[in-house]
Amino acid sequence: MSGSEAAVLTALPTPAPRPVSPARRLVVVGHGMVGSRLVEDLLARAPGAYAVTVLGEEPYEPYNRVLLSEVVAGVVDVASLTLPSVPAGAPGTASVDVRRGTCAVAIDRERRVVVADDGGTHPYDVLVLATGSRARVPAITGLTAPEDRRDRDVATDGAGAPPRPGLPAGVHALRTLDDAREIVAAAVNAHAAVVLGGGVLGIEAAAGLAGRGVRVTVVHGGPHLMDRQLGPEAAAAAERALDRLGVGLRTGATAREVVLEDGHVRALRLGCGTVVPADLLVLTAGTVPAAELAAACGLEVRRGVVVGPDLATRDPAVHAIGDCAEPPEGATGLIAQGWEQARRLATRLARQAVPPERAPGPAEARTAAEPTVAPDAGPSAGAAASEPPPPTDVVRLKARGVEVVAMGRVGSPPDARAGSVEDRPATVPGREALPAAAPTAPAYRTVRLSDPDAGRHVEVTVAGGVLVGVTCVGAGPVAADLVAAYTRRTPVPDDPAHLLLRPPRGAASATAEPSPMLMPDRTTVCRCNGVTKGDLVATWRSGGRSVEDMAASTRATTGCGGCTEAVCGILEWLGRTDPPTAAGAGVTSGAATTPGAGAGAGAGTAHDPDPGQTSHVLAVRTR
Amino acid sequence: MDVAPTPTHCPYCALQCAQTLSAPDDAARALGAPVTVAGRDFPTNRGGLCQKGWTSAQVLGAPDRLTSPWVRGADGELHEATWDQALDLVAGRLQEIRAEHGPCAVAVFGGGGLTNEKAYALGKFARVVLRTPFIDYNGRFCMASAAAGANRAFGVDRGLPFPLADLGGAQAVLLLGSNLAETMPPSVAHLAGARASGGLVVVDPRHSATASLTQEGKGLHLQPVPGTDLPVLLGLLHVVWAEGLADTAYLEDRTTGADAVRRSVAAWWPERVEQVAGVPAQDLRRTARLLAAASPARGGTGAYVLTGRGVEQSTQGTATVTAAINLALALGLPGRVGSGYGAITGQGNGQGGREHGQKADQLPGYRSITDPDARAHVAAVWGVDAADLPGPGVPAVELLRRCGTPDGPRALLVHGCNLVVSAPDSGRVVERLAALDLLVVCDVVPSETTRLADVVLPVTQWAEEEGTMTSLEGRILRRRRALSPPPGVRTELEVLHALAARLGVTSGFPTDAGAVFDELARASAGGRADYSGVSHARLDAEPEVAVHWPCPAGTDVGARHPGTPRLFLDAFATVDGRARMVAVDHRGPSDDLRPEAPLYLVTGRVLQHYQSGAQTRRVPALAAAQPEPFVEMHPALADRLGIGDGELAAVTSSRGTAVAVARVTDSARPDTVFMPFHWPGEGSANRVTTDATDPVSGMPEFKVCAVDVRAAGSPVPPRPARVSTPEPAGRPSAGSTGSPVGTAQR
Repeated sequence: MSGSEAAVLTALPTPAPRPVSPARRLVVVGHGMVGSRLVEDLLARAPGAYAVTVLGEEPYEPYNRVLLSEVVAGVVDVASLTLPSVPAGAPGTASVDVRRGTCAVAIDRERRVVVADDGGTHPYDVLVLATGSRARVPAITGLTAPEDRRDRDVATDGAGAPPRPGLPAGVHALRTLDDAREIVAAAVNAHAAVVLGGGVLGIEAAAGLAGRGVRVTVVHGGPHLMDRQLGPEAAAAAERALDRLGVGLRTGATAREVVLEDGHVRALRLGCGTVVPADLLVLTAGTVPAAELAAACGLEVRRGVVVGPDLATRDPAVHAIGDCAEPPEGATGLIAQGWEQARRLATRLARQAVPPERAPGPAEARTAAEPTVAPDAGPSAGAAASEPPPPTDVVRLKARGVEVVAMGRVGSPPDARAGSVEDRPATVPGREALPAAAPTAPAYRTVRLSDPDAGRHVEVTVAGGVLVGVTCVGAGPVAADLVAAYTRRTPVPDDPAHLLLRPPRGAASATAEPSPMLMPDRTTVCRCNGVTKGDLVATWRSGGRSVEDMAASTRATTGCGGCTEAVCGILEWLGRTDPPTAAGAGVTSGAATTPGAGAGAGAGTAHDPDPGQTSHVLAVRTR
Repeated sequence: MDVAPTPTHCPYCALQCAQTLSAPDDAARALGAPVTVAGRDFPTNRGGLCQKGWTSAQVLGAPDRLTSPWVRGADGELHEATWDQALDLVAGRLQEIRAEHGPCAVAVFGGGGLTNEKAYALGKFARVVLRTPFIDYNGRFCMASAAAGANRAFGVDRGLPFPLADLGGAQAVLLLGSNLAETMPPSVAHLAGARASGGLVVVDPRHSATASLTQEGKGLHLQPVPGTDLPVLLGLLHVVWAEGLADTAYLEDRTTGADAVRRSVAAWWPERVEQVAGVPAQDLRRTARLLAAASPARGGTGAYVLTGRGVEQSTQGTATVTAAINLALALGLPGRVGSGYGAITGQGNGQGGREHGQKADQLPGYRSITDPDARAHVAAVWGVDAADLPGPGVPAVELLRRCGTPDGPRALLVHGCNLVVSAPDSGRVVERLAALDLLVVCDVVPSETTRLADVVLPVTQWAEEEGTMTSLEGRILRRRRALSPPPGVRTELEVLHALAARLGVTSGFPTDAGAVFDELARASAGGRADYSGVSHARLDAEPEVAVHWPCPAGTDVGARHPGTPRLFLDAFATVDGRARMVAVDHRGPSDDLRPEAPLYLVTGRVLQHYQSGAQTRRVPALAAAQPEPFVEMHPALADRLGIGDGELAAVTSSRGTAVAVARVTDSARPDTVFMPFHWPGEGSANRVTTDATDPVSGMPEFKVCAVDVRAAGSPVPPRPARVSTPEPAGRPSAGSTGSPVGTAQR
């Protein structure tokens, strides 16, 4: 930072939080996207306030798991997935101890100690579980048969998962960097692949493998693709897009058996008896929260670790965030929710570490501060406490060639689908989170654009003047507009049908006009000098015949020069048609013949008299 | 009047189009303009002028031109006074206030339109005569974020570290938050090359005149939700790394911090950015690829990343500029001929104005006021003890907030700025100015701020004075006098000279601009912005030489430094010569949407007006073309609100309400309304804007706040309680009607 900035900084109010010493001990179990974000957010808010220990099962630095399907597709550089680690030398960094490749195996809540697989014990004042979720391995013959078990890692997320049986060769989940790399390696020699599970991840994986030239079939138990997010019509549009990529699809299909040969997958046998050949099988049939550690130490676990609105379990010293947690509003399985939880928890933990008198006052709050001095603007902060958090349930497919964006509810309540996002059992609330829960339900209205031949389906549900549900398949930029309107709850048009299309943009400039003849007189030709077509016509009538004459009289073309072509076009048109002098031109001819004056006055005869056009010219461009 | 043809530059924006002023022709005389204006060929404007420039001479002859000092009398009214009366009064009151409250009770507010000489003299006056740390200027509303970002990354801040004309050879230009086609029209010609290659990318929540330049295959318009330019940049950086488009050799050789930045953007994949910013993921990918293809590392003919106020006037303005610089660095652009990063300076001398000491933390030569060596150097030039120089003051918004408070300044001297219209949250500004014991305003015509003043001093306009301006490309330009000022009008150099003398400093404040420049040059010697090899005489003798700073004097008398058109070709101005990449993250606007304020307001400019409009609203042609403030809104929004085109709309934030005519256009996002800020009164956009500031630069967040919009016929909604001070019981009117100087009660 330069000296001058430093000076400004010192001049601004800087309510730097001071840690209570000695620092409290915080243990974070899990070093995935959410666990690492929590540490990052906490360091930004209260550097050094906690002595932090992070236990991460994977040997890697934290990375962006959301992009693993992009790795499978081969469209991203793996190194670009690496997320911020604790930067050396940054404020508070010395207080953070990250243990990669260390798995938590037990929690002793009595003694407030976490036991790791290396025998280490980590005492805590505050414990955060961010153990993530695991790929669900369906109970199919061949996947669970004892003779096929071998000592291989199974996909896990974060830390804290007990060792699990391995999968047969050629069978992979897609939860970790290792999974993605193995799938990429397997795809090199694979002739045919089956992706088991036609949800978001399944479609991304299938499209990615298809892009690598592998023959892919998606086997999906539901009635249609992404049935937790999409209605049948929308799914049909998505299925059409997948078909264009050459991906085969079996919906409503149960997988009965993984056919193995020498321990390697050779095919998938379906319930109907059909055998789909495959030397690569990718499991994308949903996830299971990694909640074993919590369950084993007596914390309440339903699907995930049960937490309250404050993200704490019934043991106030223990918190859970991200995929392993089950908050009151339900888990979405989406990273946006996990990051939002990390932010909220970091804010709370930082606040607990800051003496109350140091809390920023109103005057300071008006200066949006850097993270180190940030008054939190989130839902838990002051006046904003009553606000619902921004919706985090937007599902966006990243597959090239298959455009699906879905959020909020599907359809109006009578036929609303209480579906969920990601590949989860329907008991998990997902796409029905927000205003639907209001006690006095507003009137719902759903409108849709169905364009199956083009593989497009756009559907919006509006209630109380805001969007409460959106489904976009093959909708192009409309999807980006709708997501902005949905997440910010901005007012929607009275007729929601306007939301379904982006209207084509009209001509922006005179140069875009098809013909000078069709151009109204008041059309601005030269923006820089506010010259209309009418002004140019008036100059013509007073004898101007060249671009130079036009410039001298009206200054058109003397700004950016961008209208030169248009002016030439008008001159050419005038030369061809030479419109007769309008009645009353004599009134202004005197002014119009004076170079540099009265162009607008002359123009007044050619179109509506406009005081804005009675401009005068101070000077003639002499070049 | 005898006017010899005089080569000079336009009085308005930082493009500083070259003009020739000559004896008035009939047309000029008919309009009361004392000179005729013509465009003059020059690399930046190529002879072109916009409508503001062509009509600029009319302000010289404005019927209500200030030609005499005005002093507020015991009756509360402003009365004409002699210069001696006015200056004696000002000096006397300043002495009283200083005696009672100390030197910190006097503050100075400068402007980015002042010449280098005036800016320098004003900074010196504050530090040497008034001995107050409290000086800042409206450049804080203009270039502060760009300056902070560039200083941090490159070690120096020159808006464009390359000649503007270099843009012409580029294959791609990414323009963020700049509406060049309205704000500096002649510059648009330099985008022709990028447009011809389909490489112009404009990032703006509005489909502005500039955005429309991307149509017909000329490029791409990204239309983000207001306040989300930063995520757009983070997404572009993500794609650059994810798709292997970064110039890794350049990053290795010329930068530090790339790894941390790469990691920080790993969390900003395009689909996430789409959700936050409303920009389609595929447009982000296209943009990143288009820029990369144009980069030198990949065999392109060059690419530029340029930022403007749209992204800088934000509470995350410095972070956004930093992200833009990071993008340019990742692509290997800065410090290479034909590529780079630049900030497009706004005000006429926005560049020079931030180099010579009217910034709170700064001494001439772009030196830091906290650097002991810098203090020693400047103190020696000024002939004072370095220990007597005040330390850093506070940035503009904070300075205004403190005015008239028990511990804050009691007196304020304002030069070249119409605060009441141009500062954010103008209701609060009026309140603070009214609380002062003494407000002295130097201006050329009555403004909404002079109406509140205790003393108004009439000063010269551009065609009536000598000096230099430093344009958006860091080129030092001569402003030349074409005619004598009207009787009774003085230059600000004369004002400062006279006040200094009355306050006991009888030397060191020459009235000759050339002499002031010579001292400025010495004071800047060795600083980041080194002008020591320049003089008025040199600029006059070598008009063909493009003197871009730094231009040190050197030791060899025979060999004059040619100036530095392109910076960083060999090294950056940092200690290790490498550009510093700094990871930044998105926080969003300080005043974001909520149910009672469900729409964004963005503010900006129109072609015909400049800043607060005090000058341009006095030019009939400009006033006729853009007669009044307006609220631009999307047809779908207008329909929903029941507001027809041309009907009045009330725009309300927690600060205040502005009422203006609706203009229904699909150039707006449906979630956003736009207002230009050039007008005072009911329709003044800055009644609504927030004065929350960027934590690094002190830049206020003019460009985005949350509002409610209703048809003005319907009852105006109650204002949500604001966090800080309540409204004053009786605020003076800052309206635009009344006598030339106004009769507002204070």
